[in-house]
Parts: sequence; structure tokens; C-alpha cells
Amino acid sequence: MAAYIVRRLWQMLPTMLGVILLVFFLFNWVGGDPAYVLAGKISNQEQIDNIRRQLGVDQPYWVQLWIFIKQVVTADFGASWSTNERVSNILMTRLGPSLTVVVPLVIIATIISIGLALAVAYVRGSLTDRAVMIVCTIGLSVSILVYIIVFQYVFAYKLGWFPVQGWGDSFWENLFVYSSLPILIGLVVSIAPELRLYRTFVLDEINQDYVRTARAKGVSENRIMWIHVLRNASIPIITNLMAGIPGLLLGSFLIERFFSIPGIGREVILAVERSDFPVIKAITVYVAFATIATNLLADLTYKAVDPRVQLK
Amino acid sequence: MRRAFAFVGALARTGAIVAIAATSTAAYAAADPSKVLRHVFPAAETGFDPAGVQDLYSATIEQMLFETLLTYDYLARPAKLVPLTAEALPEVTDNGKTYTVRVRKGIYFIDDPVFKGRKRELTAADYAYALKRLIDPKLRSPWAWLVEDKIVGLDAVAEAAKKTGKFDYDAKVEGLETPDRYTLRIRLKDTDYNLPYILAHEPTSAVAREVIDTYRDESGRAMANPVGTGPYRLKQWLRSSKIVLDANPDYRGFTWDFKSDDPEDQPLIAQMKGKQMPLVGRIEVSIIEEDQARLLAFQNGELDLMDLGGPLAPNVLDGGKLKPEFVKKGVQLSRIVDPSTIYVYWNMQDPIVGGFEKEKIALRRAMAMAYNVDDEINVVRNGQAVALEYPIPPGVVGHDPHYRSPVRYDPVLANKLLDYFGYKKGADGWRNLPDGKPFTIRYASRPDSLGRQLDELWKKALDSIGVRMDVQKDKFPELLKLERQCKLMMRTASWIADYPDADNFMQLLYGKNIGQNNNGCAKIPEYDKLYEQSIRMPDSPERNRIYHDMARIIEVYAPWRLDTATYRNMLIQPRVQGYKKHPILHAEWAYVDVAKPQGQVPSGPGGKAVPD
Repeated sequence: MAAYIVRRLWQMLPTMLGVILLVFFLFNWVGGDPAYVLAGKISNQEQIDNIRRQLGVDQPYWVQLWIFIKQVVTADFGASWSTNERVSNILMTRLGPSLTVVVPLVIIATIISIGLALAVAYVRGSLTDRAVMIVCTIGLSVSILVYIIVFQYVFAYKLGWFPVQGWGDSFWENLFVYSSLPILIGLVVSIAPELRLYRTFVLDEINQDYVRTARAKGVSENRIMWIHVLRNASIPIITNLMAGIPGLLLGSFLIERFFSIPGIGREVILAVERSDFPVIKAITVYVAFATIATNLLADLTYKAVDPRVQLK
Repeated sequence: MRRAFAFVGALARTGAIVAIAATSTAAYAAADPSKVLRHVFPAAETGFDPAGVQDLYSATIEQMLFETLLTYDYLARPAKLVPLTAEALPEVTDNGKTYTVRVRKGIYFIDDPVFKGRKRELTAADYAYALKRLIDPKLRSPWAWLVEDKIVGLDAVAEAAKKTGKFDYDAKVEGLETPDRYTLRIRLKDTDYNLPYILAHEPTSAVAREVIDTYRDESGRAMANPVGTGPYRLKQWLRSSKIVLDANPDYRGFTWDFKSDDPEDQPLIAQMKGKQMPLVGRIEVSIIEEDQARLLAFQNGELDLMDLGGPLAPNVLDGGKLKPEFVKKGVQLSRIVDPSTIYVYWNMQDPIVGGFEKEKIALRRAMAMAYNVDDEINVVRNGQAVALEYPIPPGVVGHDPHYRSPVRYDPVLANKLLDYFGYKKGADGWRNLPDGKPFTIRYASRPDSLGRQLDELWKKALDSIGVRMDVQKDKFPELLKLERQCKLMMRTASWIADYPDADNFMQLLYGKNIGQNNNGCAKIPEYDKLYEQSIRMPDSPERNRIYHDMARIIEVYAPWRLDTATYRNMLIQPRVQGYKKHPILHAEWAYVDVAKPQGQVPSGPGGKAVPD
């Protein structure tokens, strides 16, 4: 196990290097020169050159790339170009609000999706199964933007069940007051595709011989579905779940912007708007790292849920 | 004898402390902590160092935390300078080259650990320090131009700093003297009657040197620790999300006694006159980027003030007035034309559209006449803009409401003009240059919705005169870079007043500003000569005549097509009293009152009213 983990961590190096190169060249190619914005409304070439020198963007590309690599290795990305706030502080303070929304969302969405998937797979082909699938297909076809606009208007403004937007100081207030509607929207958006996918995984298992054998032995239907079927269907479910988590942090930027949640996704948009390369670099590298780490975690979890899996 | 002096000194100190306490108590009693004003920004702030930030939203907060020597009368239009921390307006001598300002005694910075428990009085040296910071190369202030090449001796210290890497704030600067604790004397290299406006601009706000030395970051800025003398102090800052200010308990306060001849202002004056200000004890500013969320939050009572912005206007306004459903709820509207100008420029150094040859001027004029500004106002700006006739917009000293530009939407005449100067149509239907070569106009714009809408209007305009147009899309920083290098052919640009004087707009075409903010790279000798005359003159009918002549030169050579100035629509909840949008001041919060929290909707679920 330890050797496997070390080998996987070692394999991260070329992936991270690829990410670094991609981010660096993309930003330098399409990012624009921030000095012209930072210099203000009225500035001369000398002032612009001074800013470029201080930001280090006047250095040859290979020097800038080397600095970037050193920043990744030391996990010190310096300060934001537009606010001078330390990048580490930006990440630390924005991560909490994002996790406040994403963690409950992932947990609730997974429980509901798995539960419903088992239920509709059990009554496959029935009217209930077909109705649920039709609802899921319709739900899948609607953009998240529509959900946000409609739910914010109806549930927050018209019915007054939630605040239209906001964020406070208390974790519990943020979780139960300000995150409720964003989580509800997240659930509506994520349950439909997950339910369809998980139903397929369950259906693959439900026709297997071991299920027939269990029934023949008189095992209860509940035990068959929740223990035997779910355990075997869990590997693709875990893969799907783990692959989605890092993306959720960034992908919730629309929800964060509409509900004024000071999270990571909103910060990325702000950084791109401001050509704030240190923040973009840090978030991209950390998300890449998180993706690789969750993949590793998924592989380790396979072993935990199914001892037949061999880690090589 | 020494003991007697010590006693007198102690008495004096006690007296001073009693005086401070009295002021403090009065101010504290005025600002009611239960009165909360909730405002919204559509974009995030960056920080609170007056020399270090350039965005509107940070500057808005700074106006409440820090103080400049001068400010603007709340109700006077056009904007009129009045003293803030100065005893009076500056004494101007030496033909507008020397300014002497006296700082009021007894103004104190908010308490901060840097002051080690002592009251820190505001002095003239704090303003001198603030002005020096603007030109410190390490700080890379976006406001260096406010003092650069203006104050005697200051550039030399900046030059030395470039060599040594350290700005010597103790170096004697001939043009920045503090002959006593409360007097600041500024000597300029040349006559400049706009310096008082600069002394009212928030980058010149007073900061305490010891505070900056303690809290500065690597670039010399103290973005997160604002310590000023303003009516409010920073209570809570959740970056890019929420900013909370509470009343400065040591603020000296003032009595609301503004005057106006405008009949519309009289109810406001009747409401507010004689009140001890500031009255609002707490200001909460939320950052909400999305239009819908902002408007719903306002309608839900979660916000008291909101800048409507163009895209939302059709939801709230009918023409220039509130829709009945908003009127019914008692919502108020404060509407002004921003002291700004939107204009289209052509690169005067470009081989196709630039130059002073008659056919080049004709091409620019034809394009100007082919463009329908009314379409832009109705389609792109949702009716929230006015067509500009004069390069100096409304609300700015030097604006002439009676001036009429001869440039009109007239595609027929534009076609005739091009025909006359030899821009004949080829077999493909597009016009060629007088020498028969084909040409294409490259219109540069940003890759956003506004940019796309303007692209379409300009394409339609140039199609109507048979001129082929391509769109050059680039990110804003890249457009700025190309513009400074005179490499863009044509673009829609905008300018908002830093100070409400004509000079701030007329300098946009001054030849020596090429590479800075003369984005059309125009160098028109007649214009430059008149501009150089104008900057040596105070506001006067003579100076206005010069501006008229300069405006005619713009029409003759057509380096620009004057476009629009946008409206600023502020929505105000009925519980807010005394609010009127000021054209230059960003934050009017110290001049308003709010009703007690009865019926105030907290930022909580359901928007339920909070009982008294």
C-alpha cells in the first residue's frame, strides 16, 4: 500500500509540471499585460516599466517560469497584483465559504441520488421509474443559470423563505441561513444527472448472478440492495464522486456570484477580470493538486470497499 | 518657576483633553449605532490606501475613512469646493503658483495601537507626506500624475529614489513646506489653478507616517489598515463580500447647513437643516456583482441605497422616472448625468484614418456622421445616457449647455462627402481609398456584451456608407497597451472626471499626452497652443472662449466623435432622508439620516421586519 502511494505521488510530478507549463503559457499568451491597468488612468511609459519591473513581468520567460516553479514548490505565491493581499490568505479565507456550500451539497446529493437510484432501479420499467427518468431528463436540460434566477426570484424574493443574498460571521448562520438556497439549487442541478448515472450502475449489478443467488437463499430485499448491490456498484460511484469534488469548488462560481458568497469560484472570476496572475496560478495549481489527490483517494477507497481490488 | 510651568502645562493638557472629550461626546451622541445604512457595490474593492488604489469602490470607502484638505459642497451644482480639514480655501499667490493652506487644529486620527494610547493630531506634515507618497516609485501609485512635474523639487527626490531604491521622505522639498505645525505651502513649477481640486481628491487624503511605516507591505502600501480622521472607521472587512463601517467616536461632527436655490432640494433641506452630523452609526456595504441579485435585494428591503446601472434601468424606470410600483413603495430616485464623456477616437497617426489631409479629414467626418448616437442611447444604454454636444460634459466647470455641435447623424451627406473626396465604390460594393486601393477600418473593442453591441452599431453605420469594417477584439489591458503605442485604428473610449473642471477633459487631446491618455494620438498644433493658454487661466469667460475654439477645432479635424454621457440613477429606500447624488463625491453617507430600524429588513431569511 505504502509503495503504491509513493509511486502515485511520484507520478504526480510530470502532471504538475504539465499544469505549470499550460497555465504559464496560456496566461502569457492571452492574459494581457497587467501593468497598463495597474498604472492608472494617466501614466507614462517609465511608470509602466517600473510596474513591470516590480511585478517581474519584464524578466525573460524562462526566468518567470523558474520563479513560478519555485512558488509551487514552496507553496508561496506572493501577493495579489491588484490588492496586495497574500495569496495564501486569499485561499485560506475563501476556502471556508466554498466548503460551507460544497460539503453539505455533496453529502446530501450523494445520499439522495444513491437512495433514489436504488429505489428506481428496484422498480425498473415501472411507471415510477419512467416518471423519475423523465423528470431527470427535463432537469438535466435546464441551465443552472435558469435555476438560480428562478429560485432566487421565487423562493427568496417572492416567498421570502431565504435571504436574496449575503454572508455573515457565524458558521451556523452561513450554513443554515445563507447557504440553504444555494445548496437547494445545487441539489436540483446535481441530483438529476447523478441519479441517472447511479441507476445505470445499480442496474448493471442487479441482474448479476450473485443477486439471484442471494434471493434464492432468502436474503431480504433491503439487504440485497443496500449491502450486496450497493457495495458492487460503489466503485464507479466513488470514481464519479471523487472526480467531481475539485471541480465543484470552482464550478460553483455562478452560485457564489449570485448569492454573494465570498468563495474560491468567485475569487477566480475576480482574478481573471483583474489579470491577477499570482491568484490564478495558485488556484489552478491547487485545483490540479486536489484533482490528483482525490483520484488517489478514490483508488484507495476502492480497496477499502472491495478487498478484491488490487493496488498495483 | 519650573513647577509653575509644569502646572500650566498640565492644565493646558487637561483643558485639551476636556475639549477633545466634549467634541468626542457630541459626535458620539450624534451618530446613533442603531441607525444602519446599507449600500451595495457591483464590483469588489481592492484596499484602503489612498495612494495605492484606483478603483471607484475602494475610493468610496476611503472618503469615509480619510479626509482631504478640501471637499465639495453637498448641494452646490456645479460642484463647488469647500474646506474640509482646512481652515479655509487655499490662499493663492504668485499667479497661481503658490498655495497656502492652514489645517484646522484639534482634528485627530482614530485610535490605533501605533499611537501607543496617545491622541494623534492631524498636522500639515501628514498632507505633505501623503503628497510625497504619490510619487514614491516603489509604491507605484496610479495617482503619480497628480503631483508629477508639478511641485518644485519633488521630482528630484523621486529621481533619486529610482537610483537608490528608497524614497527619502525627510529630504527637503522646496515646493512642499510646513512652516508651522498647521500650515502647508505648496509651490508649483508653473501656474495651475486646478491644484485645489487635487487637494479635494481622495489620493491626497492625510495618512499618518507612523501608521504607514507599521502596516505597509512590500510595495509600501497599507491596504488593510486604514487609520484616518474621517467620520467613520473600518469595523469589519470581509474582502470582496462585505465592508462594515461604524461612526468614528472622536469625529468632530458638523451641522447640516447646506443651501441650494434648486426647488427640488427644498424638501431635503427642510428635512435635514440643523441636524448634527453624522447621524448614521453604522454603514454596511455588500458586494453583489449580479444585477438581478442586487435589484432583488433592494426590492426585498435588504439595501437602502443602490446605483441602478444601465442594464437594470428598464426594470425600474420609465423614461427618466420611477415606475408606479416603485413610487407606490415610496422609493426615491436621485438622478444625475455623470461628469463623464464617452467618445470615439480615430488614431491620428494611422496611415488610413489619421493625418490632416482633406480626404483623411473627410473620411473621419463621414464615419462620424454615419453613426447614430440615438440608436446607441436607446439600444445599448437603455435610454440612460444623453448625447454630448460639447467635450466638457454637464456638471463640470466650463460646460456650456447652449453649445451645439454641427456633427449630426446624416448618412446621406456622409456618402456624398466620401464621393466628393474620391472614396469610390469598387466592384465588391465597398469603397476604396482615393488612390484606388482597398481599405478596411479596424474597430477595437472588448470581448464583452457592451463591446459586441457597439461593434454591431458601428458595423451598421460604416456599412451604410460603404466602408468595410472589421472588429479587433482584445482584453482591456492589451487594448490599453496598443492604444498607448498608437497601434489601434479606432475605439470607443470613456473618461470620468477626476475633478470637475474642464481641464480634466480638454487635456485628453493635448499633444504632449500621447502615450498617456491622448488615446487617439492627436497632435494638433492649434489645439495644443490654445490648451497651453487655458491651463494658465482660472475659470473665467476668457477661458470658456478658448474652450469653444478648441471644441471647434475638434469638429474641424474630427479626431473624435463625441458620443454620450451616462446617467447615474441612485435608488433610495423611503427610510433614508437627505440623500442627493453628488457628481464628484462618491459617498454621501455622512450627509444623510435614516429612520430608526422600525421595519428595517435584516440581512436574514425571509426579509421579516425587525420589531422596535
